This record gives sequence, C-alpha cells and structure tokens, in this order.
Amino acid sequence: MKLALVLTLAAWGAAAQVTYPDLVKADPRNWLTYQGPYHARRHSLLDQINARNVRDLVPKWVFHVPGASRLESVPIVVDGVMYVSQPNEAYALDGRTGRLIWEYRHEPAMQRGPNRGLAAYGNRVYMGTPSAELVALDARTGSLVWKAKMAEPEEGYWSPAAPLAIKDKIIAGIAPGDHGLNGFLDAYDPNTGERLWRWHSIPKPGEPGNETWAGDSWKTGGGNTWLTGSFDPELNLIYWGIGNPAPDFDGDVRKGDNLYTESMVALDADTGRMKWYFQFTPHDVHDWDAVEIPVLMDAPFDGKPRKLLAQANRNGFYYVLDRADGQFLLGTPFIKQLNWATGLTPEGRPIRAPGIVPSLEGTRTCPPTAGATNWHSPAFNPDTGLFYVVATEGCGINYKARDTFRPGGFPFMATGYIEDPEEPWQMYVRALELTTGKLRWEYQQIGSKRYGAGLLSTAGGLLFAGDEQGALTALDAATGKPLWHFNTGQQITASPVSYEFKGKQYIALAAGSNVIAFGLHDPAAEQASE
Amino acid sequence: MRAIAILLVCAALAWAQPGRRGRGGPPAHAAPLNPAEVEQGEELYNQSCTMCHGLKGTVGDRAPALAANRRYLRATDAALFDAIKNGIKGTLMPPTPLPDADIGKLVAYIRSLRASAVDAPVNGDLTRGGAVFDGKGACRQCHMVDGRGGLLGPDLSSLGAERSLRYIEEALTRPKAHIPRGYQPVSFVDAEGRRVRAVVKNETNFSLQLLDEAGRLHLLLREEARGLRYEEQSLMPADYDKRLTAGEFQDLLAFLSRRARSRGTR
Ligand code: HEC
Ligand code: HEC
Repeated sequence: MKLALVLTLAAWGAAAQVTYPDLVKADPRNWLTYQGPYHARRHSLLDQINARNVRDLVPKWVFHVPGASRLESVPIVVDGVMYVSQPNEAYALDGRTGRLIWEYRHEPAMQRGPNRGLAAYGNRVYMGTPSAELVALDARTGSLVWKAKMAEPEEGYWSPAAPLAIKDKIIAGIAPGDHGLNGFLDAYDPNTGERLWRWHSIPKPGEPGNETWAGDSWKTGGGNTWLTGSFDPELNLIYWGIGNPAPDFDGDVRKGDNLYTESMVALDADTGRMKWYFQFTPHDVHDWDAVEIPVLMDAPFDGKPRKLLAQANRNGFYYVLDRADGQFLLGTPFIKQLNWATGLTPEGRPIRAPGIVPSLEGTRTCPPTAGATNWHSPAFNPDTGLFYVVATEGCGINYKARDTFRPGGFPFMATGYIEDPEEPWQMYVRALELTTGKLRWEYQQIGSKRYGAGLLSTAGGLLFAGDEQGALTALDAATGKPLWHFNTGQQITASPVSYEFKGKQYIALAAGSNVIAFGLHDPAAEQASE
Repeated sequence: MRAIAILLVCAALAWAQPGRRGRGGPPAHAAPLNPAEVEQGEELYNQSCTMCHGLKGTVGDRAPALAANRRYLRATDAALFDAIKNGIKGTLMPPTPLPDADIGKLVAYIRSLRASAVDAPVNGDLTRGGAVFDGKGACRQCHMVDGRGGLLGPDLSSLGAERSLRYIEEALTRPKAHIPRGYQPVSFVDAEGRRVRAVVKNETNFSLQLLDEAGRLHLLLREEARGLRYEEQSLMPADYDKRLTAGEFQDLLAFLSRRARSRGTR
C-alpha cells in the first residue's frame, strides 16, 4: 500500500522528460524535434558510425506501421523512446528493439494525409491531426491529455506538420496549400492547449501587405504553413516558410506580390509578431511553396561574422539571408534547368523570363511545380561547410484555367502541371558551398525521379540519403562517394535521423510503410537483445 | 525456320475467326463515352483528385498517374467505380462521398483520358492484321501476345485497353523521345569475354537487372557489368509506316487496338 503510494508519487514527481534547456542544448543522443536541434542542420554530432566503419552498418529492427503506404513522418527520439506518426496515429517504440510501447488513434479519423511527425515537451508529445486539431499525449502511455481545435476541418483545414516545441509554447502550422484557405501559424500553451497567439500569413485590409492583393483576392490567398520551421533561441525568432498563393496557376485574379506567400518570415516567439520577411517568389504562378526548411548557421559572409539562414527553394534558387534582419545576401540556382527567371536583382527579387506563365495550351516550365526541391529535408555539415540538398532536374508543362473558390475544402488551383513528356525527371543529391552556392559535388540517384527522401549529415563524415528506389545510401560527406547502401524495399518519402541508446548509435527512418533502424554489426549485443 | 513457319500458321488460324472485324464490331464497352458526362467528370476530377493524381491524371504527387499507366491499371468501368467509391484499403486512396452519378462521370473522364483504342472505331481487318504481326512485321519476335512471343518488348495482350489509338500509331511510326523504363538497350561483357546485348529491366546506383536477347536474366552489381554500354536507340523499329503497305499498316492497327485481354473482350 505504502509502496504503491511511493510509486505513484515518483511517477508524478519525475523530472519533466524534455525541458526547454534540453531542447536548446540538443544532446545528440536524442532527436528532439522534426529537424533535430532548433537550427535544423540535421547534422548529428554522433560519430560512432563513421566513414571507416559504415560498411558494417546493418538493420537492427523493422517496425511495420499498420495500414501505412508512404510514410512522411520523421521520428523523434527521447532517451531511447522513438515517437513516430501517420495521419491520426502515433506510436511509441523501444529505440533499441523496435517493440511497441503504446499507440494512439485519433477520433474523428479523417482521411487526409500525410502526417510528418511529433514534438516532445515535458512529459508529453504533440501531434497535428487531419481534423485540424493539435493533440497532447502523455509520452509514457499515449493517453490523450488535451486537444485544441486549430481550425474548422469542414472548411478543409488539416495539420500535417510536426509541431515545434519552444519555451512554454507549442508552435503548429496548418494546411492545405491549394484550396484558397488562408494560412496561419499558432502558439499553444503546452499544459492547457490554450492558444497564445496566431499569426496570419495573409494580411487583412488595413494591415501592411494587404495592398499586394488585388481587390478581394486576399480572402482566398492561401499561404499555408505545412512544414516545420526552425528557431533561434538567442534572437528569440521563429523562422517559417510560407506556402503558395491561391489559385495556384492563375495569377490574373490576384495581381500584386501576394504577401506573405512564398516568403520566409521571422516571428517573435513571445508575441507572434513578424520581425521581418523575405519573399522568394513574388506573385508566384507555379505553386512553388517556400516552406522548405530554413537552416540556421553562423559563418563569415563577405569577411564579416553573420547569423545566416540558408534555404534551397522550390523555385530553383539557393538563398542565404541574414537571419537577424532578413537581408538578402546570396541567391544562385542549384539546378541546371531553370527557365522562369534570368537572375535575381541585388535585392533578391527574381527577374522574370517573359512568357513563362501557365497557359491554356501549356507552358514548359523549369523547374517543374514539383520543385527543384520540396519538403524533404536538406542538411548542413559545419565540418565540410557544405549545404546538402536533394534536387530534381526536369521541367513541367504548366496549364491554366479559370477556377472559382468553393468553401468546404475543394482545391482552388486553376489547374496544374504535368511532367514534360519529352524529358523524364532525375533526382540528385547536391553539395553546395554554404556562402557561394557553388556545386562541390553531386550524386545522381539512378532510377529515381520522384522526390520525398531527405538527408541526414553526421559528424562521422557521412551523408545519409534515401531515394525513390528505396535505397538508403551513406555518402562520403566530402566527396559524395557512396560508402554503404541498403535496399529498404519501398520508395522513401521521409528523412533519416540519428540517436544513441545505451552507448550505441542508430540511424533510423520511415521507409514506405515501415520504420527501420540501423546500427553497427555487433554479434555479441545481438545475442543479448532479440 | 520450319518451327517458326508452323508457329505462324497456328497463330494465323487462332485469329481467323469470323465476326472479329474492327469496323462495325461491337464496342468493348457497354456504353460509349458521352462527351457531356466526360466534361462534367473532368470538372469533378479537377476539384477532388488532382492534388494526388495530378492534372489530366499524368503526374501524381501522391498517387499513380491514372491515364495509361500499365502497373496500376484498373481496366473495367466496374473496377474504376469501385476504387473511387470505396477507396483502396491500405493506401492513400480515399473513398469518395460523391453520389454514384458523379462517380460515373469520373469513370467516364478517366476512360476519356485513357482514350483506349479498344473503345475507338478502327478500320482494317483483324485477321490480316494478326498475320502481319506474326509475319511481315515480325512483331512477335519481341512482343508477347496471349502467352506467346518474345520478351524484349512489352507484352501487348492488353494494349488496346491501355493505350489510345494515336499512341499506338505513334509507337509504330516515331521513336519515343525517351526510351521507357524497363527497355533501355545495353551491352556488356560477360564472364567468358563475350559482348551480350540486353535490356535494362531495372537499375539503381548499385545493381542492374538485365534481360538478354536469349531471354536470360543477368543480375549484376554495377562493378560486375564490365564494359557496360547504353545504346541511344530503342529496339523498337519505329518506321512501320515505311516497312508495311498502307493496307497492312491499317490491318495491324485494327489487330493491335483490339488486344484487350484485361477487359475480357477476347
Ligand atoms: C489523398 C490522395 C488521393 C486522392 C485525393 C484521390 N486518390 Fe485515387 N488513388 C490514390 C492512391 C495513393 C492510389 C493508388 C492506390 C494503390 O496503390 O493501389 C489511388 C488509386 C486510384 C485509382 C485506381 C487506379 C488504378 O488504375 O488502379 C483510381 C481509379 C483513382 N485513384 C481515382 C481517384 C479519383 C477519381 C479521385 C477523386 C475523386 C481520387 N482518386 C482521389 C490517392 C488519392
Ligand atoms: C526488335 C524488337 C522489336 C520488334 C521487332 C518490335 N518491337 Fe515493338 N517494342 C520493342 C521494345 C523494346 C519496345 C519498348 C520500348 C519502346 O517503346 O521504344 C516496343 C514498344 C512497342 C509498342 C509501345 C508499347 C507501349 O505500351 O508503350 C508497341 C505498340 C509496339 N512496340 C508494337 C510493335 C509492333 C506492332 C511490332 C511489329 C510491327 C513491333 N512492335 C516490333 C521491341 C520490338
């Protein structure tokens, strides 16, 4: 009796599992946010697995996610417990054996995908749902602690992005991008689910930026926040990429720059107020959401130490900004086939090539709408100074038609695009010099033309890349030479992570309908586990 | 040589059935396409399907191309209807809340996208076309139809259900801009030092799965494929408008367009 009481108290009184200082410190043995540490470099400091021994990397376990097809979830790992998701569902796994600890199924289970993962804070994990709710689950049991309504699911909203836990707040973005529903970014109280602030990505009349929308077009402007951003604890700024304007392919009905679509925004973490923005593609007509991960690093630029933000954008340009004030520092193509702009002005505004706009008969557009890159994660390795990105070479044929907005969650795209039938797409892993964007090396992913697989860099001198063919490959971070590979058996549409548990480093990722973890071959240890 | 001749005769007999003319033959579908329905279907499709299946069903971000894609083809109206109404379990394909009449329009639109040759009227004589396929065209050297024929080209048993008439015509008369996946011709040097010609069934950075002219599979790691050479041209001789007379060509087209095994039409 007494013992039971003590146990209960111990459980309640246990130190919070993940504190804000933990998140800032980002112990490399854990993988605490969608992007690892707040700076989103996806560079693990673990080096037990390295260029010398990576040939001994073997699969340690497979967890099949019931009913999954192409998972886009990136696992988070806290003290050996892995949390992974698919729409409406979360799973907690033993990071060493892949054994299920608990699972959570959300009601109502609306059929909208994908889901990209969870956030950890305190003793809870947080997940967005197809019903546009943010849920807080007890990290030890999967019990639902609270749920907060982010938006009206009947209007067509849902929440695919992994939330981001910062100090005393859970930051959560919203989808869809192509339905004429206006986006926002929210902050919630981790304990109660109360909404603390909301930033609207489309300014209302009277607010600065609204003048960049002709007439009432702002009302259905889109601009969603469907991929997780990054955070600078010192500057106290959240960086988040904003999606495309709607209707996607018909710009005639929304003349103007269409702020803050296709922008990087920096928001004050306490208030949600915008400190600065930079718009990559003003008045976009090609559906080039600017949600790609903002990667943060400090490095000299033009001889001066700078706080930088780098993004490889779906529009084909690689950008470097000053993340304190949003100043444009560099913009240069990271793909060869780019026909929509002839360059950028000194302020970073694209110089449009005439005629490259969607049309009734179709307009050849490079990169395609699928993008020079997309939501799959890039990585930055401070040791090599290289920014790594998965790039698509190819073109699309972009079409335009009239479309009318209909409430209730219908696409408002004014048609779309097809792959250029004359020229199949091709995927590459590319290594760019951080401050020049110069191509240092590239690795062609033979047989792969569909995007979705992201990157993980490690202090072991490795870059892990998945591909459409299902191969997980370890490349030499300095040269791009393949050092190890494994056929996971399904198209990979997620990014790998690394963690350490009981002294052993793991590389793990969602591959198709499975989560797979790899570690160094160790016959003695394998006997001891399963 | 004699074996081939006998084979050809048998084949010709197999197709020498009355009432199988292209012209005037019954359409493979119960109902011909209704243009108004197709148009409404396109509208519905653009509203609820493009985000996964892509515009015109040709490139999907999250789903297979619906138009003329061999691997995923549901060929009958009933199968398409079922997939749309009930979704496909265990995949992202959701059930549709739309009324049945609208689902019918979606089916019509998908059929129109595919514009399957089997649904189109074609002039020409099926029996004579079959003879060209086996004889002067020597198509069966490379193509299997109904379980007999070569291996280097795609099986054409359901060609008429999978491709449009125009597509088939172009396949016979114009080299494709790009050699399709699975048919890239290569050659390499085998263990005995002989140069072997083959097509690439699949390849990645690390391995190749090759099928050679003799029908043998070669499963190689990239470093084992010595002297690997990629050929620029597809094996498909795309000049049959010149090799055949206009009449033979038309008969062949009629024959090809009625290959629709997946529809149960023959
Ligand atoms: C959320 C994404 C999504 C949406 C929206 C969607 N589909 Fe699908 N659809 C899929 C996926 C994924 C498959 C492939 C399933 C499989 O692997 O068999 C599929 C398969 C199909 C197939 C079967 C294809 C074949 O030949 O086997 C048809 C037909 C189809 N979809 C029609 C539609 C129609 C019509 C709509 C709009 C009403 C629609 N889909 C909306 C994802 C989607
Ligand atoms: C030497 C081998 C060879 C011969 C002979 C040949 N083909 Fe082909 N054919 C191929 C190959 C390989 C492909 C696939 C690559 C391509 O489409 O270029 C192909 C593709 C095709 C296609 C396109 C199929 C599709 O779905 O894309 C058609 C139709 C076709 N052949 C019909 C014929 C006919 C009819 C004949 C005879 C008149 C013929 N072929 C003779 C090798 C051959």
